[in-house]
Amino acid sequence: MAGTITVKFYGLMRLRMRTAALEIPSDDLTIMELLRLAEEKSGQSFLDELLDSDHGLLTGTIILVNGENIRSRQGLQTRVHAGDSVCLFSPAAGG
Amino acid sequence: MNGWMGKIVKIDLSRRTQETIVVGDVIRRQYLGGRGLGVKLYSDLCSSATDPLAEDNALIFMTGPLTGTMMTSGRYQIVSRSPLTATICDSSSGGSFGAALKAAGLDGLIIRGRSAKPAYLSIHEGAVEVRDASAFWGLDTQQTQKAIRAETSSQTSVACIGPAGENQVLFAAVMNDKDRAAGRGGMGAIMGSKNLKAIAAGGSQPVAVSDPAGYKDLAARVDRIVDKNPVTGKSLQVLGTSVLVNIINAHGMFPTENFRRGVFNDAEGISGEKIAETLLQRQSACYKCPIGCGRTTRTRDKNGEGPEYETVWAFGAHLGISNLSAIAEANYACNELGVDTITMGGTIGCAMELSETGAWKESLRWGDAGKLRDWVTDTAYRRGIGAELALGSKRLAAKYGRPELAMQVKGMEIPAYDPRGAQGMALSYATSNRGGCHMRAYMIAPEILGHPVFLDRFSSAGKAELVALFQDVSALVDSAVLCRFLQFALGISTFTEMLRVVTGLDFSDEELMKIGRRTYTLERLFNNRAGFGRGDDTLPPRFFNEEFQTGSSRHRLVRLEGMLDDYYAVRGWDLNGVPSPQTLADLGL
Repeated sequence: MAGTITVKFYGLMRLRMRTAALEIPSDDLTIMELLRLAEEKSGQSFLDELLDSDHGLLTGTIILVNGENIRSRQGLQTRVHAGDSVCLFSPAAGG
Repeated sequence: MNGWMGKIVKIDLSRRTQETIVVGDVIRRQYLGGRGLGVKLYSDLCSSATDPLAEDNALIFMTGPLTGTMMTSGRYQIVSRSPLTATICDSSSGGSFGAALKAAGLDGLIIRGRSAKPAYLSIHEGAVEVRDASAFWGLDTQQTQKAIRAETSSQTSVACIGPAGENQVLFAAVMNDKDRAAGRGGMGAIMGSKNLKAIAAGGSQPVAVSDPAGYKDLAARVDRIVDKNPVTGKSLQVLGTSVLVNIINAHGMFPTENFRRGVFNDAEGISGEKIAETLLQRQSACYKCPIGCGRTTRTRDKNGEGPEYETVWAFGAHLGISNLSAIAEANYACNELGVDTITMGGTIGCAMELSETGAWKESLRWGDAGKLRDWVTDTAYRRGIGAELALGSKRLAAKYGRPELAMQVKGMEIPAYDPRGAQGMALSYATSNRGGCHMRAYMIAPEILGHPVFLDRFSSAGKAELVALFQDVSALVDSAVLCRFLQFALGISTFTEMLRVVTGLDFSDEELMKIGRRTYTLERLFNNRAGFGRGDDTLPPRFFNEEFQTGSSRHRLVRLEGMLDDYYAVRGWDLNGVPSPQTLADLGL
């Protein structure tokens, strides 16, 4: 039986999704695959908040896997596993 | 003259005299205005022996050549020596007061002396009049602005102090245009020391622009860029600055209970998302600003502005408080009384730890939201424990024998990013010319937010160069004067274009960066003369010795010394942080 990966939405993503988190059943997949599954499960598109038209990360997009930025790993090809927590932040700033 | 109004008035409140200062073309081109020109004028007028609250100290209100022109150009800078830090200090505020000062015909105002009785300045169409403010002394900032607009004109913009400034609280703010604050460094205390309650400015003087057609095209282009940018065109508008709460908390560097932890368990409850769901009435914007990051909010009993990110942290996680209404109401109190929210919260957090350790007998408990507003009020009036909180954390912790519990740099409280989570931010805090401040070099942009590029936050490699670069760009933008948030959408070349079309001067990117570097170095020279050196470019010991045990910044410490050596080398300063003769010569200092 597959485990689950938690996807958490913050900022503008949360306002759009109207939910704080989704559980995605999987043991092992890439972030890109996870994002597509999350879109499918929620029935809402949100990739435009995170990715540019070439499907690269927008400047300012933050995706954390267990607190670590995927830019420090393999970007959208970073693999995640059952039990992992993935936080999605669309570009934001403050001060 | 294009861009500048060509007039700065120097006023002596003791003698009731005034004179017009003419700034030569060379100096104007070397320092622009705002922070740069303010620092230059201050350094020429005052010495390192000047007591910030003494009669002879100068308090300088300054606009820049872009003030009153492009988007976000209502801002102004106040420059003086801080009573909180004893460093040279500039404090920036938004709203429209800067644009109003230029519409009144002035680039800036230099105020010295001390009025025999409460006074305010009324500036209209180039004339500065000293008026009696006895009837307004004691009023809060909202009442003051209302009363002075009633006595002058409903069209004037008013910058004023509240009771905290009158009582010379060391971190009293200057408030303008209702709730905009020149918060940091205690500029409000200096106004109070001069018996100066307010400055009202207004008029109809236009800012001349060198190339009107080029200006119009550029303004339209900038509008499109800012609108299209996801930060300036969307996130800041919808969620304000508090969108950072969850981001910084997720990075394990959201300072909690006086920087003892990096994760606040109830961050969600005080987040920008939660504010949008609960307190938010509408967004609010400064002069010609399409972003509108301000939050107009309402609790069950009160309404006002804020809280923004730094304040939601200072009165929230920093104190272990998750009651959003209490945080907002403490923010409203700071606005009304004229208090810097960051130093206020920073000091209360320090007091709570002093209390917990038994070093201070007063009982201030983590999470005690019910007393928050009273602590702010008592501080503004310097009564009860507020008389001690009014000292700021450095003096308070030293008084009770635990100086290491004050989370400050050079006497200014560190804001809402734990430096153990971002090495570049640690260097930025340590080398800030006005003390613990995030606005000198906002390294959170590359280290956390990925603007303009993403950097490894735990690495110290290359951070010295970037901190120096960011400090210089920030000093430039503060001298132009524009809002820093534009930096998320615009690069240096766009600022250069702006200054060229407005002033008609053939600025290059390199020349403008040099203006930033010259300003930063001149500030440093003042601080050196005042006795600040390498030993002051540091952080509280907690950041070198105590690791977080949880969160994604756990087991990390600040590694400062190597970065500091690199930084001094990049700056052309010696190992004690003193600019070399060659560096000074290169900058024309």
